[in-house]
Amino acid sequence: MKKNKTMIICFTLPATIVFLVMFLYPVIRTAMMSFFTMASVSDSMSTWEFVGLANYAELLKTSIFMTAMKNMLMIWLIGGIGVIFFALLFAVILTNGVRAKSFWRAIIYLPNIISAVAFANMWIYYIFQKRFGMIHNIFATLGLDKLARTDYMNGDMKFWSLLIAFSFGSVGYFMLIFLSGIERLPQDYYEAATIDGANKLQQFFHITLPLLKGVFKTILTFWTVSVVGFFVWSQMWSPVNSESQTITPVVYMYNIVFGNTGMSERMPGKGAAVGILMALVVLLIFFLVNRLFREDDLEF
Amino acid sequence: MAKEKEPRKPFNLKKELKLAPGYIILILWVIFTIVLLGWVFGASFSTTAEIFQGKALKFESGLHFENYAKAWNGSGVAGFFGNSLLYSVVSCTVLILVCAPAAYVLSRFEFIANKFIQTGFVSAMGVPAIMVVLPLFSLISGLGILNNIPVAKTTLIILYVGINVPYTTIFLLTFFSNISKTYEEAAAIDGCPPMRTFWKIMFPMAQSGIVTVTIFNFINIWNEYFLSLIFASSDKLKPVAPGLYGMINSMKYTGDWAGMFAAVIIVFLPTFILYIFLSEKIIGGVTGGIKG
Repeated sequence: MKKNKTMIICFTLPATIVFLVMFLYPVIRTAMMSFFTMASVSDSMSTWEFVGLANYAELLKTSIFMTAMKNMLMIWLIGGIGVIFFALLFAVILTNGVRAKSFWRAIIYLPNIISAVAFANMWIYYIFQKRFGMIHNIFATLGLDKLARTDYMNGDMKFWSLLIAFSFGSVGYFMLIFLSGIERLPQDYYEAATIDGANKLQQFFHITLPLLKGVFKTILTFWTVSVVGFFVWSQMWSPVNSESQTITPVVYMYNIVFGNTGMSERMPGKGAAVGILMALVVLLIFFLVNRLFREDDLEF
Repeated sequence: MAKEKEPRKPFNLKKELKLAPGYIILILWVIFTIVLLGWVFGASFSTTAEIFQGKALKFESGLHFENYAKAWNGSGVAGFFGNSLLYSVVSCTVLILVCAPAAYVLSRFEFIANKFIQTGFVSAMGVPAIMVVLPLFSLISGLGILNNIPVAKTTLIILYVGINVPYTTIFLLTFFSNISKTYEEAAAIDGCPPMRTFWKIMFPMAQSGIVTVTIFNFINIWNEYFLSLIFASSDKLKPVAPGLYGMINSMKYTGDWAGMFAAVIIVFLPTFILYIFLSEKIIGGVTGGIKG
């Protein structure tokens, strides 16, 4: 099939234009913006003032931004360990011959299709509610008065309740990725191992895990992208003013660019620098992961 | 996605007992999810006073359907719902019209820009939204069109389309490359021009992939929050997610908890109903675009 130039152009042009306008141009302009200061996002480029790396340097000295970075790192690390553990556990259970596999799978994935605002609302106003919430009731029934009286939406507990609720909803998605990875593994390895007398646990550690390298790569990258964009949940947990327990870099950026209560000065240049830093975080993790889990050219 | 229909396994007590720990974990997790959703659903038919007394699910004063009427009319959920429906349906349609042809050409023809476009689209999927939102905001606010409601709605639709173009294209690309080339070759021999071949033969053949990606786009756009928050500043423009967020915050002053739960259920219902009927297709599609 040759000489279809018209067709190639007609068919790819709309999508390519959208890509250039919605991704390439904004990414380049955000990168440039991060080296300038300006009064408002919509100021024209001619009024920008070049400041070099000052935006980045100031960010690193801003304590609330560093808190936001620390929160993001904690969500990434602790939440990541929890999410990957449960996702892998469910994937393994479901591939070991339990009945009603599609039923379990469907319910575990369900939170992913619910609007984050609606789902976060359910956690805040039911699970963690201090007067009639589920956790309160469970502890009260068990007679653990101290735990029953704890307010999980206040103080230091706030970060942990946020982390648990967000991670709970993420498990289903990563479980599906693990599931499809495990289902693609060749069955004869397991048959051979069973004949040689390896039990299920040994098979998991010596066959499944090593063969899932590529899947881990995907999972870590996707998890990073989702944690870097952490925004709705944080806003739901502290809707009026961003609080230090729940603030994340995107929330910080939103505050300093689009203004929120308690922020008088708007600093779009710094906001752009936050955006660039987040993109660098994703890139860094991506390269680290690719180094760590280098493909050994396994073909099956 | 291949339909996996396993033959019914004979009941084997020893084998089932071995799986017992697995069943216990699954059951606990699933019960938690069902109680969470079930309680909120129940509370949406209760009254605020009963919820606060911890008797939300006793329904001593009967079922209060008026919570839904109040949320729908009084709190403006109807408007948000209408907006979301408009945004999702139009954006999903436009997305297919823009992405299916592009995906097809990218999967079939070799040309210089091909590799470049594909790499660009794949990287765009990993670009955090905050990287693109500032210049887009300045671009759009510079045009000064956000006060004109119909124009602003069109702008939002363009944004929803734009943000989902890379994902949709890459998803359909994988789908088209799995369709055999013999169909086009046969059509070419019969003298059918390539563009017609696409619309008449390939597009219908890709139907199942198009349906799957459309469900995903629908759910994504229905639940979209970040862009909507920034670009849909007035209540007349807001889709359900930022609309609900605003309602929850104002609920703090009015104290209508039952109404709030009703609003949550209304927002949750469309994607949930889709999921009930299409969960297998959705689940199959999640990993369809990913290569391990």
